[in-house]
Amino acid sequence: MDQFFNVVALGMLLGGTYALVSVGLNLIFGVIRIVNFSQGEFLMLGMYGAYLGYSTMGLDPYAGAFIVVPALTLLGMVVYWLVMRPLQNEPMMQVFASFGLLLLIQNVVLAITGGVGMSMNTPFSQVTLTIAGVQFSATRLIILLAALVAAGGLGLFLAKTNFGQAIRAVAQDRMAAQLMGINVERTFMWSFGIGTGLAGLAGVLLTPIYTLSPQIGGNFVMAAFAVVVLGGLGSVLGALVGGFIVGLTEAFAGYYIDPELKHAVIFIVFIAVLLIKPSGLFGQAGAEEVGLREQS
Amino acid sequence: MSNLDLAQSGALGDSRLAGRRGAAEVWTVANELPTFFAVVAAIGLAVYLLSNQFFYLNLLTMALLFGGLAVSWNIIGGFGGQFSIAHSVFFAIGAYTAGNLYKHFGVSPWIAILPAMLLSAAVAAIVSWPVFRLRGPFFAIATMALTEVAIAFAMHWKAVTGGASGLTIPYRAGLENMIFQQRWAYAALFLGYLAVTLLTSIVILRSRLGYYLQAVRDNDKAAEASGIPIMWTKLKGMAISAALTGIGGVFFMMYVRIVEPAGLLSLFDVGVKIALIALIGGIGTIYGPLLGALILVPLDYWLRAFMGSAVPGGNLIVLGLILVLGSLFMKKGVAGALRQVYRAWSRQQ
Repeated sequence: MDQFFNVVALGMLLGGTYALVSVGLNLIFGVIRIVNFSQGEFLMLGMYGAYLGYSTMGLDPYAGAFIVVPALTLLGMVVYWLVMRPLQNEPMMQVFASFGLLLLIQNVVLAITGGVGMSMNTPFSQVTLTIAGVQFSATRLIILLAALVAAGGLGLFLAKTNFGQAIRAVAQDRMAAQLMGINVERTFMWSFGIGTGLAGLAGVLLTPIYTLSPQIGGNFVMAAFAVVVLGGLGSVLGALVGGFIVGLTEAFAGYYIDPELKHAVIFIVFIAVLLIKPSGLFGQAGAEEVGLREQS
Repeated sequence: MSNLDLAQSGALGDSRLAGRRGAAEVWTVANELPTFFAVVAAIGLAVYLLSNQFFYLNLLTMALLFGGLAVSWNIIGGFGGQFSIAHSVFFAIGAYTAGNLYKHFGVSPWIAILPAMLLSAAVAAIVSWPVFRLRGPFFAIATMALTEVAIAFAMHWKAVTGGASGLTIPYRAGLENMIFQQRWAYAALFLGYLAVTLLTSIVILRSRLGYYLQAVRDNDKAAEASGIPIMWTKLKGMAISAALTGIGGVFFMMYVRIVEPAGLLSLFDVGVKIALIALIGGIGTIYGPLLGALILVPLDYWLRAFMGSAVPGGNLIVLGLILVLGSLFMKKGVAGALRQVYRAWSRQQ
């Protein structure tokens, strides 16, 4: 039974990681419906940013977040303006362009670092809490906490603030939003930037756990897309629940079936959900099509 | 919007040609054959001329393979507008079917083509049925997920794939084994493959299925309202496309004689590359994907040789840039750009 609870705990903590990684993508892909395959590369840049702060200024990665997140928000805004803005109505070209960005960013980092694996520690790295025989690592708990805070914050931001309402309005009907006096381009640019900034935050918080490599973004981005689609596009609660489903599935499949097949199991669950409920668990029916409606 | 652009590159371009021969005449397969034979003959001549220059011959062989794969992809991706990045899965199915039948049962690869095609088409139909409920980028993401599943299974199922260390085929030269001593024979083999895919693609484009696929691509709601069975059309297109891709897998297996899951199912080196080649050449046109392969495959080799050695990942930096710039500024590919130039030129005349 202890084993079982340990697997559940591991799954919940992994789920927190996936939920955190998915929060930014949820805003970019779920709400404003831009396909960004390079989301994982922003996460990777977040990790390297934290490492840079650590190695040059001796910054603790958690403190480095205050520099890395704004920097990646800015970079995301630039990328939106130069690459995504001209392709607004062409989702398939967004697939290609963001895949190009993925290759570009990944290999620029590879060229600069020479592909040497790097890792770093914080005072929290070695700390584990044991509650009733079940172990929790402190760094993973921080991520779980950050996921809850980020998802809750994003939900409140979208629901309550003026700017959040503007983002939702633009996502629903671009022309009507424009007629109401919303600056559509600027709203998209900021949403994209916030989304990449959140990816950077996830990256920073992951640095104490994972060894840095230019390809690490790929480990998360497919899972993040699965989480966002699984939970229901644009639903913050859905992304959170989706994250835990993916995390628990991975932990259970890894422990009880075969570690090699855990990714296959996740995607089979993903495809099964799409079969039964194409709009995702918490999405509105037909939400998967609205964003593709041609807007002019 | 993008759909309209695609429609112009395919359908309107051809109606212009048909119009010149009299408005009543419909462009048919017979009209396409002279160009087809000319293209195949020209490449055949190139194979003959290069038959002693192994480096260029290898380059041409790989370009012809990827040309054939991109032409196959184009049937569902270009005509049907369903951007699959899971074609590496069908490629791998073809390779493993031929490899295992040959290695364990002594079945000639020529005969293995048939089961490879059937298996690829069957898997394509089964996995596409749920995935085709998704549209546009959602479809692309789901096919990407399928690639991940396929890699996990290929790594796990060692009896068939040899796991991470790969599947090797013993070298026994002979026509019946599809293993040749002369390098030019492989180039000829892949030229044959390309010709088969091109011919299939021409026949489909000028058949009911081709028009159905284009209608679904351009506006699926209108297509459904006109009585076109959308799901059936997409499934048929996908199955044919996958079967042709599977043949490519068979030939590739006998050409390299060693395959491993990471290379065969690589998202970038196969799955995305096939789609990228079609994009660079011109999606939805007959010869665009071939053109893309003749440009991109040598470019890739060249970048690997010169950039890759100077800076780690340098070749991929350049390819990434091409991908971003291509999707921003050359949505209709080289074929589309050439057509524009030609149109501007003929207007001046």
